[in-house]
Amino acid sequence: MYVYRLMLFLVLGGYLLSPLMMTGWASPGVAWYRPFVIWGVLIALTLWLEQKRKLDER
Amino acid sequence: MNASLAGMLALGTGFLLALFLCALAVERGLIPTRLTRHPAVYTLALGVYASAWAIYGSLELASTSGYGYLAYYLGVAGAFLLAPVLLVPIQRMTRTYQLASLADLFAFRYRSRWVGSLVTLVSLLAVLPLLALQVQTMGDAIYLMTGAASPAPLALAFCALIALFAMLFVGRRRRIDGQHDSLLAAIALSSLVKLLAMLGLGAFALFGVFDGPADLQAWLDGPGQAFQAGVVQTDPAHWRSLLLLFFAAALLMPHIFHIVFTETRSRHTLLQASWSLPLFLLLMALPVPLILWAGQRLGSQETLSAAYLAFGLSESGWTQALAFLAGLAATSATTVMIALALSGMVLNHVLLVAHPPEAQHDLYRWLQWLRRALVAAVVLGGWLFYRIVGVHHDLTSLGLTAFVGMAQCLPGLLALLYWPGANRKGMVSGLVAGILVWLLGLWGPLLTGLPSLVVIPPGLEVLSGEPVWYIVTLVSLATNALVFIVVSLATPTSEGERAAAEACSVDAVIRPKRLPLEAANGEEFKAHLARALGAAVAAREVDRALDDLGLSPLDGRPYALRRLRDRLQANLSGLMGPSVAQDIVDRYLPYRHDGPGATEDIHFVESRLEAYRSRLTGLARELDGLRRYHRRTLTRLPVGLCAFGEDGELLMWNDALAELSGIDGDSVVGARRDSLPAPWGELLGRILAEPGRHLYKQPVPLADGTRFLSLHKAELEGDDSEPGGMVILVEDHSEMKWLEDELVHAARLASIGQLAAGVAHEIGNPITGISSLAQNLRYDTDDPEVLATAEQIQQLTDRVSRIVSSLVGFAHGGRHLAGRDLAPVSVAEVVDEAIHLIHLARSGDDVRFDNRCPAAESVEGDAQRLLQVMVNLLGNARDASGPGDRVIIEATPEGEGLRLTVTDEGQGIDESVRDHLFEPFTTTKPPGEGTGLGLPLVYSIVAEHHGQIDLVSPPPDRERGTRISLWLPRHQKEGEAPR
Repeated sequence: MYVYRLMLFLVLGGYLLSPLMMTGWASPGVAWYRPFVIWGVLIALTLWLEQKRKLDER
Repeated sequence: MNASLAGMLALGTGFLLALFLCALAVERGLIPTRLTRHPAVYTLALGVYASAWAIYGSLELASTSGYGYLAYYLGVAGAFLLAPVLLVPIQRMTRTYQLASLADLFAFRYRSRWVGSLVTLVSLLAVLPLLALQVQTMGDAIYLMTGAASPAPLALAFCALIALFAMLFVGRRRRIDGQHDSLLAAIALSSLVKLLAMLGLGAFALFGVFDGPADLQAWLDGPGQAFQAGVVQTDPAHWRSLLLLFFAAALLMPHIFHIVFTETRSRHTLLQASWSLPLFLLLMALPVPLILWAGQRLGSQETLSAAYLAFGLSESGWTQALAFLAGLAATSATTVMIALALSGMVLNHVLLVAHPPEAQHDLYRWLQWLRRALVAAVVLGGWLFYRIVGVHHDLTSLGLTAFVGMAQCLPGLLALLYWPGANRKGMVSGLVAGILVWLLGLWGPLLTGLPSLVVIPPGLEVLSGEPVWYIVTLVSLATNALVFIVVSLATPTSEGERAAAEACSVDAVIRPKRLPLEAANGEEFKAHLARALGAAVAAREVDRALDDLGLSPLDGRPYALRRLRDRLQANLSGLMGPSVAQDIVDRYLPYRHDGPGATEDIHFVESRLEAYRSRLTGLARELDGLRRYHRRTLTRLPVGLCAFGEDGELLMWNDALAELSGIDGDSVVGARRDSLPAPWGELLGRILAEPGRHLYKQPVPLADGTRFLSLHKAELEGDDSEPGGMVILVEDHSEMKWLEDELVHAARLASIGQLAAGVAHEIGNPITGISSLAQNLRYDTDDPEVLATAEQIQQLTDRVSRIVSSLVGFAHGGRHLAGRDLAPVSVAEVVDEAIHLIHLARSGDDVRFDNRCPAAESVEGDAQRLLQVMVNLLGNARDASGPGDRVIIEATPEGEGLRLTVTDEGQGIDESVRDHLFEPFTTTKPPGEGTGLGLPLVYSIVAEHHGQIDLVSPPPDRERGTRISLWLPRHQKEGEAPR
């Protein structure tokens, strides 16, 4: 259950801060795939949290 | 455009046929279950979210808002990241109460059929633009592929095919173990096709139009900058609103709700989707900018709308086919799911509410055809909306209108999970207010072409100049939430709504009440429900619910009947929606209100808590740990324990009592006291009725014989000192009772000993007189007959004296036998004498005694007492034998002793008596004929002689009879070595 709070924090934080990231992505000179890399990292983090949750509930 | 109409039709129908064959193969079991039920299939099916918007709408949005198009994907990814706190609780509710749609969920929580109808209406209005978007993209794609002048009829033909395909799934749910494997598999296949098509288009854009990532980056940094300059980056506030709308869509859109909650397999599968669905969406979103930039580089934007740039990537047919296929896959899956979900909602919350299914002849079939007609109507409605409205608007306008409309249900949904204080009036008021703003601001203008009628509230003038969708989103949601909160706080909440709120709320303490039902068992349930559903459907539904719960139709436990009622309501809710299901159950399976007031269903609360354990945290988890410890203490208590509620319902039956009674706790907990198996119902009723608190050593006939139980009771006080039932301890005092009985026997024997001593004294004098007279008689006559008689009189008087003295000896535990009394005794002689004495009794003359003991064998012992043993054994053998039977007495050396056996051919000894035969007062003879002291005396004498006695009946070498076997120490003659 404690893991869920971390996810809640991540999602709310992401929701509030995402416009800042948007500005960064649109800047010239930034690799076009950067948003997708960040998204991929977030998915990996979620996968890791999901594994942790399974261990937590075992 | 170089594709022929026939080619496009072949591609389209071929794809739909492939979906159909996939569904058919799954239904027929041709594809292994481990494959069809793999979590990846569920994730792909969730990909239905990526509708035509994801294929074409995203390109349109990316061309105007840059990375703003990602909001469509990231919003729903955020909702799935929150799956454990947002989706899983809803999934639990929908599964527990068989709620198949958002309208079901709202009607269940807010306890009103009208709420369900309102949500259905809102969903219908909101989804029509989205449905029109699907049809519109299909028509546009057909036009781009074939150049057909009027693509609308072709789009209608595809819609008809899709509707037919959707109709195939209606009514199949019950056949496939509650899971819609074939539907999920077909939707997953369509998601796979659109994903592969998008990745193929992206790869072509990257490596076909550009020369790889480096070339793309160079183009972006060079000529591409001119295109990027035209992009207006999404305003942060707009971005957040878009994220919120798409976040809400994941929970509220009927087709997504259907896949996420109704078709879901397990909590684990849903949690796995928290990362796998965002991964799918990432792969879907990745090709979008590549296709856009490739189109811009090729200059296709001048001839093509941005949404359809994929069709202009090359002149080759296969890239166009990929673009068409991606769109068709997205459109068909979305349309099928929307049609299925909406048809169910309209059926349950509009048609069945208006026209309840009172004892339809064939209810299932009637519902099935009704739903099929609704599927067709929904798809046709989408096509009409496209023809009348859609053609005049771009994809973004249509899509946003739909998403803003559905988002109006978000406050109600969040309150359902996290605000038990919310009530129906508040929810309806808020929803109506929000929907009015949406209708006036977005939907109405979309339909009529008139300008938006939304007025910016005072103080929010800063919003003027913002896009209409943004203003409507903010104003409608703010109005909705505000009205919802204010009305909920200002108006009372009904009892039923409060109970439903507790059932829905996350972390709520569910306190179900116990009330008896009018129906007494499953069979009566069928009879009651038959009035509403018809006999056949009622029987099928009750049997199904009994099967789900693993109960017997004759189980009359109130607890089981309440669970059966709940299960029936849930199952009927899956069939006809929660409103109709609740009406039917309330009307035909009512509670009885003549008994004591409703009390808490502790047993049910406990079973729920067991199931919720993994959800508890912090203090709640620690308290639950404490509860489990106390529960274990009571369950494992080595003394029988049971507890009754105030209404006489059994709430606890611990392990020790289960072992003692041979009745498993699960089979009786929840039953009434008077329906407990005999003798427990009567016994526990006796202690409950007893004015005192104890009942001692009550004889209770159980499977292993009569046992003596002591019962103690104590009253359980509820909150505020109200009566809260009784707890009863059941102690097994059988062994103590037997010990006490033995003590009483011993005391009786002691008194017999004392009596015998007195009798011996009293009898001794006359016997001595008789003996002396017999002695004198021998001197007074020479008549041989008289002399023989005198001799026998003397022997018999001696025997009387010895018997009396033996009785005294037995009563005193054989204390009189000392080592000095032991002498060699010839076994054959003792047996002869015993036979002789037996014959004096002049009964059983026709029984033949066969003394086969060797004359030379002798044992160490007291001749008189051994004679007593033999007289008893031979007497018993004679009594057990029939006329003409033989009694054989044999003696064989064995070790340092002699094995002496007395074998008769009588009726044998019953097994139940055999183990107690050497206990005093145990006899197989008719009353008045046996004292039950003979064999205990024999046992006592043999024990005095350090011997052993055994009994076998029938003997191994015979069919009937009894063999008593004595082992006595042999007399060792001088110089003889022990054998």
